[in-house]
Amino acid sequence: MSIVDDRPAAADQPEEPTNRPEVTYRLREWLARPYVRPILTMFVLFCLLVIPIAWLVVFFMNMSGAPASDIMSEIEQTILVFTIVSAPLMSITLTILLYSLFGWGRVTGDEPPMQESPAIRSNAIGSYLWIGATSVLAAFLVIWGLLALANITASSYGSIPANQQPNSTRPIDVNVTGQQWVWTFEYPDQGKITSDVLVVPIDTPIYFNVTSVDVIHSFWVVELGVKIDANPGAITNTGVTPNKLGNFNIRCAELCGLHHAYMETQIQVVTQEQFDSWVREMGGKRTV
Amino acid sequence: MTAVIHEQQAVPQPKQHGKPGGFLRHTNIVTGVVLGLVLALVTYAIGGLLVPWGTENSNFLQVGESALVAATYTAWVIGFMIGIGAFAGPIRWWLGHDLTHADAEYLAGKGQGRGKYWKYTTDHKVVGIQYLVMGLFLLGFGGLLAMWIRTELGVTWAEVFDPNFYNSIIGTHGIVMVIAMIIIAAGPLGNFIMPLMIGARDMAFPRLNALSFWLLFAAVPPLVSNLLLGGMRDGWTAYQPLGTQAPVGMIGYQVCIITFAFSTGIAGVNLFTTIVTMRARGMTWNRVPVFVIGILAAAIMGLVWFPMYQYSQVMALSDFAFESAFFIPQNGGSVWLYENLFWLLGHPEVYVIVIPVTAALMEVMVVFLRKPLFSYKIAVAGFAGVVGISSLVWVHHMYMTGWSPAANYPFMLSTELISIPFGFLVLVMLGTIWRGKVWTRLPMMCVYALLWNKIVGGITGVYLSDVPVDQYMHGGMFVVAHFHFMLMGAGLFGAMGAIAYWFPKMTGRMLNERIGSIGLWLSFFAFQLTFGSMFVAGLQGQPRRVLQFDDAFNVSNWLSTIGAYLIGVGMMIFLYAIITSWRSNVIAPSNPWGAKTLEWQTATPVPLNNFPVLPVVTSDPYDYGVPDPYLAIEKKLSDENQDTKVGAR
Repeated sequence: MSIVDDRPAAADQPEEPTNRPEVTYRLREWLARPYVRPILTMFVLFCLLVIPIAWLVVFFMNMSGAPASDIMSEIEQTILVFTIVSAPLMSITLTILLYSLFGWGRVTGDEPPMQESPAIRSNAIGSYLWIGATSVLAAFLVIWGLLALANITASSYGSIPANQQPNSTRPIDVNVTGQQWVWTFEYPDQGKITSDVLVVPIDTPIYFNVTSVDVIHSFWVVELGVKIDANPGAITNTGVTPNKLGNFNIRCAELCGLHHAYMETQIQVVTQEQFDSWVREMGGKRTV
Repeated sequence: MTAVIHEQQAVPQPKQHGKPGGFLRHTNIVTGVVLGLVLALVTYAIGGLLVPWGTENSNFLQVGESALVAATYTAWVIGFMIGIGAFAGPIRWWLGHDLTHADAEYLAGKGQGRGKYWKYTTDHKVVGIQYLVMGLFLLGFGGLLAMWIRTELGVTWAEVFDPNFYNSIIGTHGIVMVIAMIIIAAGPLGNFIMPLMIGARDMAFPRLNALSFWLLFAAVPPLVSNLLLGGMRDGWTAYQPLGTQAPVGMIGYQVCIITFAFSTGIAGVNLFTTIVTMRARGMTWNRVPVFVIGILAAAIMGLVWFPMYQYSQVMALSDFAFESAFFIPQNGGSVWLYENLFWLLGHPEVYVIVIPVTAALMEVMVVFLRKPLFSYKIAVAGFAGVVGISSLVWVHHMYMTGWSPAANYPFMLSTELISIPFGFLVLVMLGTIWRGKVWTRLPMMCVYALLWNKIVGGITGVYLSDVPVDQYMHGGMFVVAHFHFMLMGAGLFGAMGAIAYWFPKMTGRMLNERIGSIGLWLSFFAFQLTFGSMFVAGLQGQPRRVLQFDDAFNVSNWLSTIGAYLIGVGMMIFLYAIITSWRSNVIAPSNPWGAKTLEWQTATPVPLNNFPVLPVVTSDPYDYGVPDPYLAIEKKLSDENQDTKVGAR
């Protein structure tokens, strides 16, 4: 019962005569149906709801502090884009659900209703539109995600993004060890000093070599957008370049037993001079 | 040409040995539990003599203690299955005592009144009711644990529970709810309704049907008892090697999963074979009700992927009890191996829960909108797509494990692609609602609840499928809120609708919709509060599975806890509606909704052999509705155009 003509259009032959009204006419007829304009209006209004929602999302994410690294900015931007892109889907669903409650008639009572609804078994235009729109949205999100992931990987592992000058600052290695229920940070290039608070200089690439001595932990530097599991028997790598001074949260994001909830510490992003003096205080030295 | 008419020969009937039913006349749940307990105690006593007490291994556990507990649990399962009579069938074959007709009728529960619900009964309708009650029990138990968890998280100023106990209840809540949700739709509806829907007299393997239920029954006590044996102290994922640090309660979890995987495997084979081979005459694949397709999809996913989960637990049990080292890195194992095996099932399992429920509500919609299903073939394509892609997405649970950073790219692609077939299902449901006159009854209201929750869960799922977003969200409360929207919001609210819809057929009583609706809507709005604020906690950066947290998360957790209590109240009201309606005297007519699928065409209560005469199907069951008035207008227009238009071109 398709309402569109799905015979293939033969390009090199004269168009077969058709009795169907023209597309523009049919579109106008469709728009003139009593339910169409209210639905379109509701759809647009609900789409606009995305603005406060997106603002709220960013607001909540920034409650404990604005992004302190490019990675976290990229993540926040991605979340914002996903929120905006999902608005049409959310909106069309909400619109149809709400409108159907009052718009097309309602039947109550115990007996099966005598009035039946129109027997719409399929609708080619609607189906193509839906499948096309969801596919395009999904494709957009996939591409956005792949690019964002490539960017984040580049900033984590230190390869230089194409649009940036090579960073002349020497990166700092930190060996992160999770154990039940503390984090230990070792600076192999600074005379192997160890600390239970992560102190790093601003605008310097930090490379993390993460491992665990007992069970799986997950090394999560919240405001810097760094997360990687600390696995026993393996070393995982990630990295970040902090770009904001201050103290930020480090949490464990993988259930690791009794005091998992308390397995927290801090990362202090300081200036290079403060970092050097901290290293001297801890008894370390630049070995290179 | 001459026709030869063969004389009908008398088929030799097997000899009747003793009374119909034989050994199974004497077995029921009591003999099963008693024999299970006795065998468990005997095993524990004998095993205790063999175990060298007093020495400890590196985890400060008694050497051999865990092996002993594993053997005890296994003895319980085997003893229970012997006691309930599960092995009577094979033994009869060895003895050469084939089943007679009277035996088969006894096994199906003929003339046993309510006692048949406590026995190894093969009738699919009995098994369906057993699954329903079991599912409700598990939901109640898991819900109680959820209340405890929310209490702990709501009391932000103190520790209510010992952290070890808290870690145990979060894991137990998780796995109890996952099992409950797997069986709550596919169990009662797949067993009771599906054979009726395809016009069969029973499932393809009636005795395997009983076996699958009683294996599930045997699997539950080990799981529940883990809380008494020190708890599992791990999430429902039971990641290793944390699991090996747990007390022997961990074995309860492992034995439960191993047994439950047998149960789902057997049920999957049974459902699959029934659907493929036992459809009524004329029910071609184009005419199969969409719910049956949904059950088929769930059966396929369960069959293919549940063994992975089972292997992972067999290996983990071996690590735990016999100090092997599949997953213990200190001895050469790999934690990533466990994570892969676990999530190979762990993700398809979500669809095992959501797909049958979605399909069931598609059946509900057509009846309450008096419309045909919109685009049956897109619905089938959606199910097929979800089944196909679901096997290629498991690594999105492992983006942050460091197992293979390069694999994150293809798995991000496949995970976001699965939103397209999932979108097909939403399209079918929205298209069916489009321009329909809603008959506002309780099952239809659940369609609204399901669609809203599913779209929220689906969209947040797309967030999480993205690696950069997951880098922030993974292991946080956002994930918890997302999968509750999917499993509880879509799964449980959908199952409530499906049960309300088929309640008259299954119980012979009408559901009290006034009370039921109060429960439904109270839980629905409380659900939005609970998990809406959990999204906020996740965005703020609260990790999951913690019992204390920064003050920044207090407000959202308080709101979440208030909402959770209200969900609890709402669900109790709904349960009250189910129980009182079931016990009431309001007899339901055989087809109260005026539905066209086969299960409503037979009598209520359904006779033992389902249909007096097997039905013959001549069309699909969605023949509702009147011709579209707008199409008539368009037709009229084109007829008027005919004279002018054709000439003009």
